[in-house]
Amino acid sequence: MERYDAAVIGAGVVGCAIARELSRYQLSICVLEKEPDVGSGNSSRNTGMLHAGFTYQPGSLKALCAVEGNREFDMVAEELDVPFRRSGKVVVGFTDTDKRNILKYKAIGEENGVRGLEMIDKQRLHAIEPGAGGEFAMYSPMSGILDPIQYTIALAENAHMNGARFFLDQEVLKLERVKDQYRITTSEGDITCRWIINSAGMYSTKISDMLGLIGYETKGFKGEYYVLDKKAGLGLKTPVYPAPNEKGGFATHATITIDGNILVGPDSYITAGREDYATTREHLAGLVNDGLKMFDKVRPEYFIRTFAGIRWKRIDPDTGTVQDFVIERREEAPYAVNLVGIESPGLTCALPLARRVVKKMQEKEVLKVNPAFCPIRKGIKRFGELSISEKRKLLREQPAYGEIVCRCEGVTRAEIEQAIHNPLGAHTVTAVKNRTRAMMGRCQGGYCETRISAIIQEELNKKVEDVLYQRRSSNMFVGKVRGGKDDA
Amino acid sequence: MLKEIACIMCPAGCDVEVEVSGGKIISVRGNTCPKGKEYVKREITDPQRNIATSVLICGGEQPLVSVRLNKPVAKDKIFSVMDEVKAAACTAPIEIGQVLLSDVASTGSDIIATKHIKRRGRENDED
Amino acid sequence: MRKTVVIIGGGPAGLAAAVRLYDEGIRDILIVEREKYLGGILRQCIHDGFGLTRFEATLSGPEYAQRFIDEVVERGIDYVTDTTVIDITAGKVVTAVSVRGLEQYQAAVVILAMGCRERTRHALSIPGTRPAGIYTAGVAQAYVNLRNIMPGKEVIILGSGDIGMIMARRMTLEGAHVQGVFEVQPYPSGLPRNIEQCLNDFDIPLYLSHTVVDIIGTSRLEGVTIAEVDEHLRPVSGTEVTHICDTLILSVGLIPENELSLAAGVELDSRTGGALVDEAYHTSAEGIFAAGNVLQVHDLVDFVSLEGERLARAVVEYLNGRRVKSTACIAVVCDPLIGYTVPQHITGEKDFVLSLRIRRPLRNCVIELQADGLSIQKVKMKKALPAEMIQIPVKADTVRNAGRVEVKVLC
Repeated sequence: MERYDAAVIGAGVVGCAIARELSRYQLSICVLEKEPDVGSGNSSRNTGMLHAGFTYQPGSLKALCAVEGNREFDMVAEELDVPFRRSGKVVVGFTDTDKRNILKYKAIGEENGVRGLEMIDKQRLHAIEPGAGGEFAMYSPMSGILDPIQYTIALAENAHMNGARFFLDQEVLKLERVKDQYRITTSEGDITCRWIINSAGMYSTKISDMLGLIGYETKGFKGEYYVLDKKAGLGLKTPVYPAPNEKGGFATHATITIDGNILVGPDSYITAGREDYATTREHLAGLVNDGLKMFDKVRPEYFIRTFAGIRWKRIDPDTGTVQDFVIERREEAPYAVNLVGIESPGLTCALPLARRVVKKMQEKEVLKVNPAFCPIRKGIKRFGELSISEKRKLLREQPAYGEIVCRCEGVTRAEIEQAIHNPLGAHTVTAVKNRTRAMMGRCQGGYCETRISAIIQEELNKKVEDVLYQRRSSNMFVGKVRGGKDDA
Repeated sequence: MLKEIACIMCPAGCDVEVEVSGGKIISVRGNTCPKGKEYVKREITDPQRNIATSVLICGGEQPLVSVRLNKPVAKDKIFSVMDEVKAAACTAPIEIGQVLLSDVASTGSDIIATKHIKRRGRENDED
Repeated sequence: MRKTVVIIGGGPAGLAAAVRLYDEGIRDILIVEREKYLGGILRQCIHDGFGLTRFEATLSGPEYAQRFIDEVVERGIDYVTDTTVIDITAGKVVTAVSVRGLEQYQAAVVILAMGCRERTRHALSIPGTRPAGIYTAGVAQAYVNLRNIMPGKEVIILGSGDIGMIMARRMTLEGAHVQGVFEVQPYPSGLPRNIEQCLNDFDIPLYLSHTVVDIIGTSRLEGVTIAEVDEHLRPVSGTEVTHICDTLILSVGLIPENELSLAAGVELDSRTGGALVDEAYHTSAEGIFAAGNVLQVHDLVDFVSLEGERLARAVVEYLNGRRVKSTACIAVVCDPLIGYTVPQHITGEKDFVLSLRIRRPLRNCVIELQADGLSIQKVKMKKALPAEMIQIPVKADTVRNAGRVEVKVLC
């Protein structure tokens, strides 16, 4: 049976950040993830914002971690070679109520230590973001935009190169305490470990219960999104949010992503289904309706994709109000670090939370630093981003960069192959998509999907019926049209 | 019984009305040319179809060669033809027009290749 | 590298244009094709029905393509395959990439012949989950006919376009159970021939005025919910029925693939999704011409070849003549019953072919061309369908010096 010092349950952005931070120490680490790839839950279903920290209660973990995570992100993005732009954000308003609410959050932000918040007039707003409508705004220069999937993958790959082992497509079924170890029963066999870190996101209460840390309640706040064509985003560079309401919530908005697409949404409604990711006619129509008020390009000719995410917020069982993050180590389970209710700004807070997990572990034992730890991870070189002369040079060295597979996003065979041979062992078509942006363009795989599935088959020697789309059992094909063997 | 058939003999696409009783054609109305009348009569008494499908190839640059019948067959023979096609295999290289299955399912029609398929392997030039 | 003519796309439009250019004396031609073989989308259209007017035969797509490929090869016209154009500038510099390297061509003329892409599920905002098992019809066709892969067993098809109906038959022949074809309009969007030979032959029901309102299944498709729609194409509450299936095929429209055209500054017509052209197929960018599906979605490849050939003759005139921007200033304005015309504006200096589509099925109508209010031509049609492109030859003499040309429908 496999034995580890620490088992991290859940490979979302927080779980992967924890694995990376733990790999700075001399610990054998495994990460258990029930889906075939990392970041399959809400980590890949959000707006991709690096929050500044002005909507969180001062002194809360949300506030502290957001400000910390925000400040260090230029360095993190460089270390992990992930796309990031400190774009700033404008929160625009029209009425006196808007102004009141914006000023309230400006004050909160300042109390939280957010730097650079300033009220700006219409002229300045127009200079910063000509596409924004508003009489006045708050400008938050520290806000930024990133690709949450690339970030999650990068954290995982960096953890992996520093020794963490990832077990994908492996679900935790049962936990038991056997002497001074935990014995975890998974869908693919048992593992023992000294420490368990619960970063299971939407299933954090389930794992928390398994650990004997009962009584937590989370509620699912679901939000649907439209992704719009990059053409809709032309000329826009700064996320524009409408003034928050008294509770700090934002109405439907349209923001630019790091790749130049526009995201419309999310809206917000309650769901009970842990993985209720289906979009609905009613809510998509609502997004179009509300989106058009802010942005005129919310039209079918620009629709690329729709998706939904669910923010599992911890709520007070008696009052129903939303509570702060929980990150704890209790005497009932001294070798478990329990994270419950991690939702927005989870992306921004991932590494600060991970460092706090380490601190919790250090309450119990001395952790020796791993002298071989390397924080630098390189991503897949993207042909589409190079200049003509750089392209020429790369093609001389690696001709496979000359075979364009995804026409819409300009992704080449060399990139696809590197994505297929990813260090974590994720083998689905979506795993390739998330690592290269192939299939994310306007034809949604109409041209490249047949090629990508063929390359996956070739490179991994997979049978037709074993090619998976995204989730477990998401087999894309039922078999060959004409059976029989191929003579090589 | 009245049946309406859209004639496909030319782009005019006349809607032809055929009166059928006891399996026999009583009248044909709506066609603007004799070809239409013939097509419609055939459709009622002895409908013919072509079939386009694929045959498995061994040793070719592609796994399948697209094929069709060289002349239409009776509509009710479609699945018998398909059974033979599914069981067949051929070897590359294949030339367009090459007969792969002669007198398939005893229809008097042949299955012919509709594409060239080169042989895969060392004999081909390296890129 | 300098080239007189660079043709982007070696499908039927590009091939026909190349052959005609060569035969009219232009020799310095390069066809750039991103696939391994020439032929374009015809390679996967293995069904027959191609070449009825051109060759008076009913050929399969690959056979039709081979006729033109043979002509290209016989003439020794230059082409490259496995090569993708990644950029075109307004100055006609074409950048192409392959495993052999990156090449830039300075062209005197660029011919856009890139064809189209398919409309996706999300463009229609079809809600629900995102499981495996949802394919646009062209992709399903590529899997079945080119890759030897069967996408599924229990199939529902949304859209009665030709490709959807063709795939209904194709999947049935290969043992799948096609439960039905659902069409949002109150009339079918594909050709009557296909309704007969792809659906009726196999007892596959066609439901008009229906659409998909939900998709169910976490990993692989488990079912789709279908509802009836009203006269505004809105789903009617209470009519929802969930069908258990493992495959949803979408045949919901083609969109001309003009991303490269936009990079070159070519103006598009939002009604066609293709370039704004004059009767010489000359776009708003000087020296850049367009034909085939990239210009307007065609239904008969025979017309695509003819369009490619007309374009080629116009290119020859351009190269041998004034080499100036299009001087088209006579607008072609159409009746509300007509979806679009190609060309959208004309110079009035040459005979041309007007292509158009009507917006909904009409019976016993007359299409009338007027020049400044005067009737110049009338075409009687017993039956006109949106699925069937209408082409009308127009003589330059009838439109020369007109202020505007109007295309009206009387019925």
